Amino acid sequence: MNGVYIIKRLFTSVAAFCISVTIMFILLRLMPGDYITMYLETIYRYAPPDVVEAFNHVYGLDRPILEQYVLYLLDAFRGNWGYSLIYKVPVLTVIGEKLVWTMVILVPATALATLAGIGIGAYSGWKRGSKTDIALLNGMIFIRAIPSYWLALMILIIFAYYLNLFPLGGYVDTGALITGIDPLDVANHAVLPILTLFLFSVTGTYYLMRSSMLMTAGEDYIVTARAKGLDELTILRKHALKNAMLPMVTMITLECAGMITGSIFVETIFSWPGLGMLTYKALAVRDLPLLQGILLVDTLLVIAANIAADLIYPLVDPRVQVGDNG
Amino acid sequence: MNAALLEVRGLKVGFPTPDGLVRASDTVDLELYHREILGLIGETGSGKTVLGMAILRLLQPNTVIEGEIRYRGRDLLSLPEDEMRKVRGREIGVVLQNSGTSLNPVYTVGDQIAEAATLHQGLKGSEARHRAVELLDAVRIPDPAVMAREYPHRFSGGMRERALIAMALACSPSLLIADEPTKGLDAVTKREIIDLFAEVNRDRSVLFITHDIEAAATLATRVAVMYAGEIVEIGAAGEVLSDPAHPYTRGLLASLPERGMRPIPGSAPSLITPPPGCRFSPRCATKDCKSEHPGLVEVGPGHYARCMLYDRG
Repeated sequence: MNGVYIIKRLFTSVAAFCISVTIMFILLRLMPGDYITMYLETIYRYAPPDVVEAFNHVYGLDRPILEQYVLYLLDAFRGNWGYSLIYKVPVLTVIGEKLVWTMVILVPATALATLAGIGIGAYSGWKRGSKTDIALLNGMIFIRAIPSYWLALMILIIFAYYLNLFPLGGYVDTGALITGIDPLDVANHAVLPILTLFLFSVTGTYYLMRSSMLMTAGEDYIVTARAKGLDELTILRKHALKNAMLPMVTMITLECAGMITGSIFVETIFSWPGLGMLTYKALAVRDLPLLQGILLVDTLLVIAANIAADLIYPLVDPRVQVGDNG
Repeated sequence: MNAALLEVRGLKVGFPTPDGLVRASDTVDLELYHREILGLIGETGSGKTVLGMAILRLLQPNTVIEGEIRYRGRDLLSLPEDEMRKVRGREIGVVLQNSGTSLNPVYTVGDQIAEAATLHQGLKGSEARHRAVELLDAVRIPDPAVMAREYPHRFSGGMRERALIAMALACSPSLLIADEPTKGLDAVTKREIIDLFAEVNRDRSVLFITHDIEAAATLATRVAVMYAGEIVEIGAAGEVLSDPAHPYTRGLLASLPERGMRPIPGSAPSLITPPPGCRFSPRCATKDCKSEHPGLVEVGPGHYARCMLYDRG
């Protein structure tokens, strides 16, 4: 790994960022409806054209689209992501606040799903065709086949409504208004969203790990290991697991970024005040600056995950030498 | 020659498939004596590799195996798995075919060689590393101390083959099974590997599986020829290869480039439903024997062939 490589890699990342930003800019403007019309229509049932015009003038929405684009691109790099139309505060402030809450459920869910998916998938692939493997595989297919929003609703109904084990939604009890936020109370609220996110994520990791292990188990070097007289557990742990993990590195890093999107309906269903619910709200009222900000954060996370994967890979696979020709 | 080191008796190996049992090895009898090299030759799919892998019980778990494989008098087929593990790598070493993929890409060559020594001889850290360097030196890898710390992808084809041989020799086994060790090597490297086996043979017996007849001729004390899962001819290497008794062996020799490169017409038969009578009869130019299945008959001292030319019932 060398400096030139890292500079090259950063340059392509900036290019990827610019392209994403442009596509985002175009897509958001193709969406029907605008904030001021929708806002006025909810209050007055109709939007007076002169009010809409005045609003658009204040926010620069009446300028030529190309000028808006250039201004937007420059501001995006300067860190001026504008003000949220609903919250009336800088977009970055809102996102920063909500991102923390998303991480509270996303980090444990992704970590657990990755560990469980890899562990169960490795075992299943190693013991291919056994009763345990078939039972695990069918179980995972079953979970995967359930529409995810329906699964979230069922979890909510069963565990929160009927069994009354966990709160129905939100992130703290109303008592928190007086006593302040209690971490235990937050954890109690987080259990069901984490469980749901875990179930969404674990099946994908399991499938990939299982098929990766299936391929590894048939490799010649596994027979070599057996021919040395090693026992099956050592072969699995030492010779198979590390090789089967190689394709997982890329998958896990991308999965981490992708989970943000996955959290949209989990947060909406469980009324969890994170980035996902914020996206839903911003989308519902066409709060364009806020939406743009959220999508920019998502883009940055995906780009960062990609760089991370590229930098981690050579550390685990000796054949990959970053920066060399070849 | 006294009692054999390895004795294979009536070995049948079958792989269950949706179309029926593939009989990859059918009633094979074989002895391997102390310090001899037995060359096992035959075309691809004749059952040579399966025989080698069956000896160490390295075939898939659903394989159907019958018969006896006696190593120093113990039947390997009836050993419990944990006893069998002590035989693998320690008593019997194996050099698998496909040296390109038989080394684990994520560990250094030295670590992989040291592994068996650590397992069977209880060598620790630096001792085991030292042993790996010694072994790499013994198989003529230049700069063994440096190369021990390299990963397999930095090794050339010939060097990987040597590394695999070093790995198989790590615990000084009495028997080495080598599966096509000269496959895919250039003439010079091939020669070097053959010389290496001659040296390795000084302290142990070798089952040398190959379809390279020239290599077998150079190395082997005796040669066994396999066709469609059966041994069709076995005897002293010089005799079998200069004066073959079986039409298949004759055909195999005639197909060599230096002897006119005349291939045997037809192709190897199905191992699920082998031809009735002599398995070679559909391709045989000498005799048409569809009704009787010949047994192995002694055609000279210690020289046997499975052919109706000699089997008078």
